[in-house]
Amino acid sequence: MTSLVTARNVTKSYGKVRAVDNVSFEIQKGRITGLFGPNGAGKTTLLKALLGLTDCEGELSVLGLDPFRQRKELMKNICFIADVAVLPRWIKVTQLLDFVEATHPNYSRQRSEELLAKTKVRKDAKVRELSKGMVTQLHLSIIAAVDARLLVLDEPTLGLDIIFRKEFYSNLLNDYFDGERTILVTTHQVEEIENLMTDIMFINDGRLILDTKMDSLPEIYVELVTSGENADTARTLGPLFERDVFGKKVMTFENIDRDKLEGLGEMHTPSVADLFVAKVKGAAA
Amino acid sequence: MITNQLALVRREIWEHRSLYITPAVVALVMILTLLTAFVFASGYQEIVDIGIIGAQNLAGDTERRAALLAILIGNTVPFIFAGTVLTIFYALDSLYAERKNKSILFWRSLPITDAETVVSKLLTVLLAIPLIAFAVIVITHLVILAITGIFVSIEGGSSVFLVWKSAPLFDVWAGMLIIMILLPIWFSPFIGWFLFVSAWTKRSPLLMAFLPLIMVPTLEYWVLRTHLIFDAITTRFEQLPIFKGIDPEMFFDEQQFVASTDAVSLLAYVDVGKFLTSPQMWAGVVVCGLFTTAAIYVRRYRDES
Repeated sequence: MTSLVTARNVTKSYGKVRAVDNVSFEIQKGRITGLFGPNGAGKTTLLKALLGLTDCEGELSVLGLDPFRQRKELMKNICFIADVAVLPRWIKVTQLLDFVEATHPNYSRQRSEELLAKTKVRKDAKVRELSKGMVTQLHLSIIAAVDARLLVLDEPTLGLDIIFRKEFYSNLLNDYFDGERTILVTTHQVEEIENLMTDIMFINDGRLILDTKMDSLPEIYVELVTSGENADTARTLGPLFERDVFGKKVMTFENIDRDKLEGLGEMHTPSVADLFVAKVKGAAA
Repeated sequence: MITNQLALVRREIWEHRSLYITPAVVALVMILTLLTAFVFASGYQEIVDIGIIGAQNLAGDTERRAALLAILIGNTVPFIFAGTVLTIFYALDSLYAERKNKSILFWRSLPITDAETVVSKLLTVLLAIPLIAFAVIVITHLVILAITGIFVSIEGGSSVFLVWKSAPLFDVWAGMLIIMILLPIWFSPFIGWFLFVSAWTKRSPLLMAFLPLIMVPTLEYWVLRTHLIFDAITTRFEQLPIFKGIDPEMFFDEQQFVASTDAVSLLAYVDVGKFLTSPQMWAGVVVCGLFTTAAIYVRRYRDES
């Protein structure tokens, strides 16, 4: 496997606040990695470091390049959509395509136009005349037409209605993902991408608290639905996190022998959203 | 590199439509003023007739050429004034608006360096603004002369003889083109400063650009009792090393003046050699380079979150 992204002890401080604190991870080619964290956990800062938009300490290599020092080279092979990187409102759709065509060596204008033809985006419209959903479609039509090796999406569907959100991810899979490309995505709508992801990372208070393949989640984590005495017994086994659901106790365990939980209640693999809460709140407790 | 610059400068023109609308509006106002003037003048038939007869019979080639030279040069003054205002507002907006409207991260998501972007804004000021204005000036001159020619014809004069043969068009255009390219270079320390302020300030770039131009010299005088910065700023406006010194002999020596229509020339007074050998000009270019570098540095290193 080839690593597209390698981070070793990456730290980014703003004054005394460590937005990203000693983070190490790798992202392999052809994977779809979800990065989750509460607001202010350091997600965006980490992405900005990966994209060469901010300097950081530690070792960081993206496509074998130093992102901050070789940003131009990097941007030939990376695309990103971020909620903070909005398309300029004054520009016309054709002008935008003209500009990207003139400056991006790996861009296919024809591909963009094919993708736009499927939408309601008018080519002579200005970005300010488009709805938020259409702006995202436009942005995606540009990104999907760039032959990039890594795509970074930071809250790409924020503020979109449910139809556009569903469409966005299905378009992403159909038009962009081909097994050769790699995607890194952050979102609050975990359930939207739960079935897409191959890898998952959690970040909290600037630290990476989970970094694993989706396939291995069932081996590592188990959720036990229990009550009464069984709950007391289970509690002695050291659950990561415990919550109440309709009078029952739901406990999340990490790296536990399932045989030990046998007979104590119903077992299943936690959803990503539940696991996220368990990891973040469990760590705080 | 060059294709990127062309695309970037073209983008500036798309974004800042004032770059061509402003000179177009100036041209329109001037043309309308001229038309109004002719309509008004038609009411004074005798004076117009005397004028045309005089211009055709009494004045020599040199005088006709001199009069048209003055008109053509005079017509460019409003463009240069408008261009100056345009340059100030454009330069201050160029690296500020993209941060305000949050499109900066989109621009930075493309394979273009911060240096290329900032340089494109500088090139827009140094080349795009003057060249667009120049093109509009050429068109305006032609329209104004055409209107004048028609007016003269209607009033019974010869438009070819009075207007087209006498107007030193190419002389004025060549001279103007050189002046309009050299002027922004001469004032480039201010342009560099404006670009830096535009990249750096969090609010009100106009205030942030002009306040220090007043405060810093004042502070220098209070603290050090010197006025070096004040002098550096004011001398920039006093001695432009673009023009040859005007030789008064040429005008008082009647024979020489009458003998040569070449003396009636804008190009003859433009001195590129003097400009290129002016230490003040090069010092200004260095200052502009330093401010531009600082603007690149700020755009690259500042974290906008």
